[in-house]
Amino acid sequence: MEIRPILSALLRNRAGAILVALQIAITLAIVVNAVFLTQQRVTKIGRPTGLDDQNIFSFWMTTYEKDYDFLGMVREDMALIRQMPGVVDATPIFQVPLSGSGNSSLFYSLPEKKGENSPANIYPTDEHGVKSLGVTLSAGAPFDANAIEYRKEQSQDYPPTAIVSQGLAKALFKDQPALGKTIYDDQSHPLRIVGVIQHMHGSWVGWDKVDRTILIPRVGPGPSTQYLIRTPPGDLDRVMTAVDTALRKRDPNRVVGEMHKMSDMKRSSYAGDSLMAVTLSTVTGLVLVFSALGIFGLATFNVNNRTRQIGTRRAVGARRRDIVRYFMVENWLVTTAGVVVGCGLALSAGFWLSNQYQMPRLDLYYLVGGVIGLWAVGQFAAWQPSLRAAKVSPAMATRNV
Amino acid sequence: MLGYYLRLALASFKRNPGLTALMVFAIALGISVCTITLSSYRAAARNPAGDRSGILFAPSIDSWDPDRAYEEYDKTLAPTMLTYRDAKALYASRIPDRKLIMYKSGGIYTRADKGMDPTYFTTRMTTADFFAMFDVPFLYGGPWDAGADEGPQPVVVLSKESNQKAFGGVNSVGRTLHWQDREFRVVGVLNDWDPTPKYFDVSNGAFNDMEGAYVPFAWGPILELGSHGNTNCWKTEVIENFQAFLNSECIWFAAWFELRTAEKQRAFRDFLDNYVVEQKKHGRFPRPLNNYLYDVDGWLKRNRVVESDNKAMLTLAFAFLAVCLVNTVGLLLAKFLNAASASGIRRALGASRRDIFWQHLTESGVVALAGGVMGALLGFAGIWALRAWYGRFVPEAPKVLPFEAANLLIVVAIAVGAGIVAGLYPAWRIGRAAPSSYLKAQ
Repeated sequence: MEIRPILSALLRNRAGAILVALQIAITLAIVVNAVFLTQQRVTKIGRPTGLDDQNIFSFWMTTYEKDYDFLGMVREDMALIRQMPGVVDATPIFQVPLSGSGNSSLFYSLPEKKGENSPANIYPTDEHGVKSLGVTLSAGAPFDANAIEYRKEQSQDYPPTAIVSQGLAKALFKDQPALGKTIYDDQSHPLRIVGVIQHMHGSWVGWDKVDRTILIPRVGPGPSTQYLIRTPPGDLDRVMTAVDTALRKRDPNRVVGEMHKMSDMKRSSYAGDSLMAVTLSTVTGLVLVFSALGIFGLATFNVNNRTRQIGTRRAVGARRRDIVRYFMVENWLVTTAGVVVGCGLALSAGFWLSNQYQMPRLDLYYLVGGVIGLWAVGQFAAWQPSLRAAKVSPAMATRNV
Repeated sequence: MLGYYLRLALASFKRNPGLTALMVFAIALGISVCTITLSSYRAAARNPAGDRSGILFAPSIDSWDPDRAYEEYDKTLAPTMLTYRDAKALYASRIPDRKLIMYKSGGIYTRADKGMDPTYFTTRMTTADFFAMFDVPFLYGGPWDAGADEGPQPVVVLSKESNQKAFGGVNSVGRTLHWQDREFRVVGVLNDWDPTPKYFDVSNGAFNDMEGAYVPFAWGPILELGSHGNTNCWKTEVIENFQAFLNSECIWFAAWFELRTAEKQRAFRDFLDNYVVEQKKHGRFPRPLNNYLYDVDGWLKRNRVVESDNKAMLTLAFAFLAVCLVNTVGLLLAKFLNAASASGIRRALGASRRDIFWQHLTESGVVALAGGVMGALLGFAGIWALRAWYGRFVPEAPKVLPFEAANLLIVVAIAVGAGIVAGLYPAWRIGRAAPSSYLKAQ
C-alpha cells in the first residue's frame, strides 16, 4: 500500500491535517460522552411507571371552616364524581405519584426494627385507589371497602393492612411471595400485606428507590386531601372541566385547587432530564456535521492544491480508482490520528464527568461505536472530493495553474 | 489603518461568500449553544444577596442519626434544617445584629365581608427582622415590630400578588383577613420581590415561588400549623400531638443571623459549638461535633443550587465551541492561503509582516464578531423556544432560563476573543511566508 507518499504529502501541509485530526479528537470525546449520557436520560424518561399516567388528573381539596365535616365531604364528593360520565374511577389520596411531592417512611420485615428494611413512598387512599391509579395487582386484591379507616384525629399509627409494590416486597422479602406477610413500621406496628402491585412508581423520579411504594387504607383527617381521577383515553380534558364545575356547585365552602394532569407532572418531574437529553443530542448532531464539514473542507483544499500532482500521477499510469483510493486513505489516516487522540480525550472526559458530577462511568461499547462512526463519517465526507480528484485529467500535468 | 483592514476584510468576504458564511455560521452555532447553557448556569449561580452576602449566616448543626450521615453523597455534611428546640435556642442568642427563624406553612384565607373567594396562600412563619435582613421592599405599610413577635399579635404582611387577589391591589394596611379562625390585620404589602435563586430558602427548589403571606412565627405552635415544606425525621419517637412533634428530633425550621463583624462571627461559631456540647450532656446530638455557619455564597453551594447537570452542560457547550473554533481555524487557514497571492503582492509592494498579520487578524475578528452576534441571537431564540416547550409544564422556566443582556455581552465577547485566538495561527502563517513564494504558481 502506498502509505509513505501519502504521509509525506500530508506532512507538507501539516497544519490543515492536524486541525482536522484535533477536531475529530474533540468530536469523539463529545459524541461518545454525550450519546452515553443521552441514552441514560432517555431510558430514565421512558421507563414504565406502572400507572395509567396519561389518563389521570388530580387536585387539592382544602377545607377551612372550623368543625367542617371533612370525611363526609370526601364521601359525598367521591359518590358524585364516580357516577359522572367519563370517570373510570376516583379516589382521595394524600400525595400523588410522579408529582415531586411525597412522604416516605422506613418499613421492616420483622418487628423491633429487625430483618430487612427499606424506605417507601406512602399513599393513604381508599378502596378505589388501585383502580384509580391504574396499577396492576400481581397478587391479592384491592382494599375492602370496610378496611378503610376514616380518621378524625391526627395520629401516627397505620391501619393494619397495606398493598405494597413488588419493588418494596422484593427489598423486604427477596423472592419469597409477599402476600399475607406482615411488615412493620419503626414503632413495630404491624401491617399485613393484602395485595402486591406489579410495578408502581412513587413521587420522586430522581430517587433510586422510586419503585418502592405502599398504599395505606386511610382517609383523613383533613383539612385537605387530593382527589385523583382516572378517565378513558381522550376524555381527560372534558372530565377535568366537568368535575371542577360539579364540585364547586355541590358546596362552595371549600377550595378546589388547580387541576393537574399526571402526564404534565411527569414531564415536569423529568424536565431536567429532557432538557439535558435535548441539549446533548442537539450538540451531538451539530458536532458531527461540523466534523464532516472539516474533513470535507480539508479534502477539497488538498485536491484543489494538488491538481498538477494528480495530473502527473494520472499521466504516468495511475488509474482513477488509484486516485480515489489515495485520497480516501489520506483522510482515513487523518481520521485515525484524530480517533486515537480522541479515545484518550473521551476516556478522560468520561472519567472526569463521573468523578466530578457523580455520573455513571462511560461504557466502553460507546467508545467503540464512536470510533467506527467517526471513521464512517470521515470516509463519507472525503468521498465527493476524492471523486472530483479522480476526474482531473492527465493533461493537467503539463499545465501551469 | 483599521479602516483599511476592514475594507480589505470586506473585499475578502465578497471573494468567498460561501466560505465566509460557513465560518460565521460555525461560530454562531457554537456561541448559541453556549448562550443557552451559560444563561441557565448563571441563573443558578447568581447570588441575589449582593453585598449582604458576607454578613448573613445560616447555621447547620449535626443533630442527625448516630448511625447514618445526613447526606449520602458527602458524609461530612450536617442537616440544613433545625429542630424546633434548636431553632428557638439559637434565636435566643444575643450575639447577632439581627436574627430570624422561620418555616413555610399555608392555608386558606377569606374575608369576613366575602370580598374574596377563599384562596390558598403559602405563608411564611417568621420573625420581624426577616424583612430588614433580606432587604424586602414594601409597597404599603411595613414590617411588624418585634413586639408583635412576642404576643404574638395577629398581623400579616401580604405579597403584592396576594394583595391583588384579596383587596384588588389597593392599600390594604389596617384591613383584616380571616385565617385559621382568626382575624389577621394587614400591616404591610410587599412590592415585587422575587430574588432568584430564592437564596433564603432553597429547600423546595431554588426557583420556587415566593410566599403569599408572612405571619409572626409564634402563631405556628399556637395554631398548630404544620410545615408545607420539607420535614425530615430520623428518630423513633412517639408523636401523639403537635407539642410532641415540636419537641421531637424532626427538622423543619430554618434560621438566619446577621453578623456584621468578624468577632461576632467567631463568637457565634463558638456559641453554636458550646450549645451543641451542652445539649450532648442531655443526651442529644449523638453524632460527633460537626457545625457549620454558612454565608449566603456558602449556603447556595452547600445546597447545590447549581446542579451537576448545569455544569456538565456548560462544559459540553464549551467543548462544542472548541470544535467550532478548530473548524474555523482550518477554514481561515484555507481561505488565507487561497488568497495568498494578494498578500504576496502587498508584501512585495512594501507591507511588513506585521501589517499582513494585523490585516488577517482583523478579518478573523470581524468574522468572529458577526458569528458572535448571530450566535447570541440564535441563542436567545433557542431560549425562547425552550421556554415555550418547557414552560407549559415547568412554571419556573423563565427563572431557570432568563433573557439577560449581560449574557449577550458575555457571549459576544467570548466569540470575539475566540475568533481572534482562532485567527492567530493562520494570520501568523500567512504573514511569515516570503512574498516570492506566493507570486509563483502552485
